[in-house]
Amino acid sequence: MSLVRARPNTFLVILCMLIALPIATRNPVSTDSAALLGIYSLLALSVGLSYGQAGVLTMSQGAFASLGGYAAAIATTKFGVPPFLDLLPAVALPALVAYAVARLVTRLPPLATALLTLSIGSVIAIAIRSAEGITGGYMGLAGIPGLGPIRTPPAYAWLAWAMVAFTVLLYENLVCSAYGRALNVLRHDHARATADGVDPPSLISAAFAISAAIAGAAGWLYAHYISFISPESLDTHLSITALLMAVIGGAEFVLGPILGALVLDSLTRLLPAAELQGFYYGAVLIAILLLARRGLLGLVQAAFARLRTTGDAATETAVTLSAEGSRP
Amino acid sequence: MLTFAEYLLRGTLAGAVYALLAAPMSMLFATVRTIDFAIGGYALAAAAVAASIDGPQGLVLALATAAACAGLMALIFVALKRFGCDDGIVYALASFGLATAIASVVLWSWGAKSFVRDSNAVFWSIGGIRVAQQGLFNLGVATAVVVALHLVLQHTSLGRMMRASAVNAVGASLAAVPVQAIQTGVYIVGGLLGGLAGLLVLYSAGLDFSAPLGLTLSGFGAAILFGIGSPVRCLFGGIAMGIAQAMASGYFSEAVSAMTPFLFIMVVLSVGRSGAEALAGGRP
Amino acid sequence: MRGWTRDFFVALAAISLATPALAEDGPVRIGAVLSLSGPAAVFGIPERDAIQAVVAHFDSTTKAGRKFEISYYDDKSNPTDAVRAVTQVASADKVVAIIGPSTGSGILAAGPVAQRLTIPLIGPAGTLAITDPKNEFYPWIFRAAPSDASDVGAILQDIAKNKVTKLGIFYQEDAYGKTGVDLAREVGPKLGVEIVETASSPYTATDLTAQATKLRNAGAQAVFLQVSIAALGSSFVKAARQVGLDVPTYANAGLAQRSFAENVGPELNGLRVLSIGNLPYDPTPGEAELAKMLEAAGKKPQGWGELTGVNALMAALGAIDAQKGKEITGQSMRDTLETLCDFEKYSRGKVCYSAKDHDGWHEDSLVVTEVHDKQLRTIK
Repeated sequence: MSLVRARPNTFLVILCMLIALPIATRNPVSTDSAALLGIYSLLALSVGLSYGQAGVLTMSQGAFASLGGYAAAIATTKFGVPPFLDLLPAVALPALVAYAVARLVTRLPPLATALLTLSIGSVIAIAIRSAEGITGGYMGLAGIPGLGPIRTPPAYAWLAWAMVAFTVLLYENLVCSAYGRALNVLRHDHARATADGVDPPSLISAAFAISAAIAGAAGWLYAHYISFISPESLDTHLSITALLMAVIGGAEFVLGPILGALVLDSLTRLLPAAELQGFYYGAVLIAILLLARRGLLGLVQAAFARLRTTGDAATETAVTLSAEGSRP
Repeated sequence: MLTFAEYLLRGTLAGAVYALLAAPMSMLFATVRTIDFAIGGYALAAAAVAASIDGPQGLVLALATAAACAGLMALIFVALKRFGCDDGIVYALASFGLATAIASVVLWSWGAKSFVRDSNAVFWSIGGIRVAQQGLFNLGVATAVVVALHLVLQHTSLGRMMRASAVNAVGASLAAVPVQAIQTGVYIVGGLLGGLAGLLVLYSAGLDFSAPLGLTLSGFGAAILFGIGSPVRCLFGGIAMGIAQAMASGYFSEAVSAMTPFLFIMVVLSVGRSGAEALAGGRP
Repeated sequence: MRGWTRDFFVALAAISLATPALAEDGPVRIGAVLSLSGPAAVFGIPERDAIQAVVAHFDSTTKAGRKFEISYYDDKSNPTDAVRAVTQVASADKVVAIIGPSTGSGILAAGPVAQRLTIPLIGPAGTLAITDPKNEFYPWIFRAAPSDASDVGAILQDIAKNKVTKLGIFYQEDAYGKTGVDLAREVGPKLGVEIVETASSPYTATDLTAQATKLRNAGAQAVFLQVSIAALGSSFVKAARQVGLDVPTYANAGLAQRSFAENVGPELNGLRVLSIGNLPYDPTPGEAELAKMLEAAGKKPQGWGELTGVNALMAALGAIDAQKGKEITGQSMRDTLETLCDFEKYSRGKVCYSAKDHDGWHEDSLVVTEVHDKQLRTIK
């Protein structure tokens, strides 16, 4: 029971997974949705880590996912790497690229970071589509093999959410660790952090690199699930969507991005399609921002704070500690 | 050498539109510390209306449409503030939602057609390089707007009030500065300028429903390049970006020329101090 | 206590995914997954409009009297959404064939799904790779438009016929543009046409004078536009005029759209555009019939999107009628499509599918047109 109390978010994800997935995998449409939602949740979590924890407003997660997906595709189709082993390059490549550019990112305030990461994402996308010989250029790579025993959509859905649960576990561990607390301090006060003896640039770079690794894992899963990847599959539009998912759900909460992914995706499927979809999408986005500026989980937390008596304030866990502050 | 000069000139003229998109962004940033992602949307709305209605009334209606869209954004901004939101990121995300909505409405009303008008085909020759009158007109308009904005921001009491609203909204309102009115006004003027940019693009290259995000990002890049706080720097930022793109298109392969504007932005942001620090005062 | 409420929210959202599909009997069901938003909407929307017009005209009944039903989905010009839409329409709506997706990458992404769920895709796209026999899902994909290779071959032949030896290409930075350039580089030299220079731009460029200058400086005797965005095409011809690139201009079928022809000034009369048929301006009797149906539905023909969309529909209906009296499944539709030859349709050219040829459409459905007074006049 203390394990549950120590990692409540992970427990919650596993619980929901065990309840919802057996139902969802009964028909192809919801199975497909479940698998894709798992992938989107990973992407949104990577934004949550980067923005919610390290304060780096990233618009390049789509590009990192694309790097991961292409690494997986090229490793398996051109070099015959066995399926699960290609997770290594899929995760390592985006992390390395992210760490390299992170030095540029650490000194900048959010809006500049947004533009910088957008530019980086675009450069990565252009590089991928230009290396025609190895990436198939604009046409992409088809025929990406399955993952050994994982061949059917239900299997992918389970794998996707297992990866989400694992990522949430890592995220919670990070938030509860000294590293996580240091990030927390950093987000609020650079000078105080330096006085505490942490090195801001390397801390932020590491967080950005880890978030890129998570995005790369999402790309790896996407490539094997759809078995086709092209420059349009994981593009800038997806980066923006992932950011919106994290913000709508509540970027500072561990589970916020996942909730945001569920909500935003359901929205795009429930809204009337065709020409006016953009209109409804924009309108709903604005409505959500008006009503829940710290994200939906922020709304829930605020509602509960009003209902709760003041006594519980002292027993906050590290998770909610990190949820407390607002962004600079 | 003539080729180099030609690309230089063409890039400069092309950059004028970026500058015109960047100027309201810098003004908004100076006043509200946020970015209006819907600038491209205002440009599209104005172009769509002007392309459908002939004559001067078409142009007036176009600018009014753009201002109305910006007015909507201002309303959203005010509402967000009323709900207690102080975060520039949230305003920016809301403006992104509005941009998406505008593009969708244009697609729904006008379809996927392109909006382009032919200005009178008068060409002048500058040092042996053939230039359309429209290009020079664009540059003239952009310069005039930028200079006007600069004068307002730096040399009028309105400008002082605008800058005060950004630096310390509470303090400004205590000093009887109508902060909310000024910020709302800035959004609407941004709409007018975005609409003007849209009209210039309509008469130059033309655009369609998919244009808004690209226009906004070009404007954003031009605004941020040399320091977002000042409209004059936007003019140089826009021209610099235009030249970079023209040179890249002229001399380099597809891959490099596509990357150039982004590499340019990355280099300037990581090296330049003035740009970074002018943006929301760095990290605490 | 707080944890339980979060639990509730998240579980509720998760369970909302798990809606089982309901089976239905009745008319033959066909799916249409088309690009109704995003860049490819330029073709996807006319595709949908034309299909709806034909369906309305025939009161959802085939020539042989079989009732059918079409459900429409948007692939948003995006391969991921194409996969989702195809999965949805194939499993939830129990269709026997799918018209679309509209984009090549959408078809490539949805191919494995079509194979797994045994539903054939009839795609109105020119991308070469969709009917590549090496694809594992090859048996399930049929083309409903001439391929990019047919297009480029046809226009280059016209260029060569007009004694052009040095060609400059302007293309948009996407799969369509790049494929055109690669094909032109391959086919051009065989026809005696040298590609002296190429220039490209992304969709949303606001100034193309640099690209036009580049082609002018390379000594191009003619310019070839491999562009499908009308705004980009008209920007380029304007820029070309401005920088003094006064050479004959040829455009691939991507620009055979009303929205391009209407925005080309009189000084560009004589600009040649390849087209799939000429529905808006110079229709054959079959095309004219389709135009009338569109008018009845309140739509104006835009280009050839209507034709390719309807081509796909007519192939599906032809296959349904060929199975008169039998039970129709996805597998039977696929098998029948492979035997379909010279079925009833509204566009020109002869179309035959076979086990080895899932393309079906060839150069005989293409025409070369010329811009005259904001219209496209058929040359041959």
